[in-house]
Amino acid sequence: MSEPVRPGFLRRGGWLLLALPLWATLYAVNHAASEWLTFRLLGLTPKSHLGDAVAFLFYDTPKVLLLLTLVVFIVTFLQTFVSPTKVRDALSKRRPGLGNALASLFGIITPFCSCSAVPLFIGFLRAGVPLGVTFSFLVAAPMVNEVALGMLFAMFGWKIALLYAGTGVAIAFTSGLILGRLRMERFLESWVQDALNAPSLGEAEEESFTLPVRLDLAVQGVKEIVGKVWPYILAGIAVGAFIHGYVPESFMAGLLGKNHWYSVPLAVLIGVPLYSNAAGVMPIVEALLGKGAALGSTLAFMMAVIGLSLPETIILSKVMRPRLIATFVGVVALGILLVGYLFNAIL
Amino acid sequence: MLIEVFGPGCAKCQTLEKHAKLAAEQSGGNHQVVKVSDYAVMVARGILSTPALALDGQLKFQGKVVSSDDILALLKG
Repeated sequence: MSEPVRPGFLRRGGWLLLALPLWATLYAVNHAASEWLTFRLLGLTPKSHLGDAVAFLFYDTPKVLLLLTLVVFIVTFLQTFVSPTKVRDALSKRRPGLGNALASLFGIITPFCSCSAVPLFIGFLRAGVPLGVTFSFLVAAPMVNEVALGMLFAMFGWKIALLYAGTGVAIAFTSGLILGRLRMERFLESWVQDALNAPSLGEAEEESFTLPVRLDLAVQGVKEIVGKVWPYILAGIAVGAFIHGYVPESFMAGLLGKNHWYSVPLAVLIGVPLYSNAAGVMPIVEALLGKGAALGSTLAFMMAVIGLSLPETIILSKVMRPRLIATFVGVVALGILLVGYLFNAIL
Repeated sequence: MLIEVFGPGCAKCQTLEKHAKLAAEQSGGNHQVVKVSDYAVMVARGILSTPALALDGQLKFQGKVVSSDDILALLKG
């Protein structure tokens, strides 16, 4: 405290004071800039199919990228406080019920990459986390994606964000509880059973960070994630722009509206093979909701895209026998369908 | 030193392996980079998230791609 303004002030987090107003300014002028670009500079006609689609494109691309940058920054910063190791220790030897609830909640914020699914799965079991509780975590971690949650909050408000998080946690809690009751330990691959009983060869040391380091990590997270997902976002926005400009409202409301029994399963069936990520799916969700698709169907679509991904299932098939995998996917899919029907019925 | 890079072979793990090799080269010392993709070994070593990096058997990082500069600093320190 002896030097109030040290030379490294900017480097130690002071840059945020410059970056935040810049961000706010860009966000504030985005709408006007996109209209000017579309209707003045390009001379497209307002309310025409092409004009609407192009305006959506110019408006949504900066908007989604700006929001994503902020959301990823906040999320990565928060994530420097949690790690799979801490979660594992908190869940170890927990009874089903409370354990499932905690695991589902931890699943929201814990950094998780599907290529880590296998060591994490076995590591949890080895530390005495029950199988059902481990499943709750494995369902919640990809399904309630922390970036998706932040983006939903920023784009559609807290009600939809809370619905998404609440239903995702409920699905993770219940499916973990069910999978735990089914006593499916014997359906783990035999090498996993061996690995569970193998002697430990060491433990990772826990890292602790200072505030500037946490901010640096958050910036790294932004560079890494935004640098990686922007093609998905552009693809999502292109699909969104097409839906926005060309798909008639009656068509979407009919197909994914609340009056047909098939709209929810259809949303899930379209969603599962679509390999995208949380951020890429947002512009599509935006366009679907704008065109009168029901909220339940849209949530089901989003959860199927993010939560039931084919790549993760393939990775997990290395540790689980087909019957366990099928049960896992079946229970989660059933949960998503229920959520879809529930919200189509009550909203 | 023995530099071990743990990971099933996803993009992040390959990047970390590249960084480790670069750091080993730049340090000029006698270092050996080994890629470990056996899940059973990772689990026994207490790794929960990949990619991970160990120096002489001591786990240093897990769940993130560290830069070659950071690895170099570890090699020298």
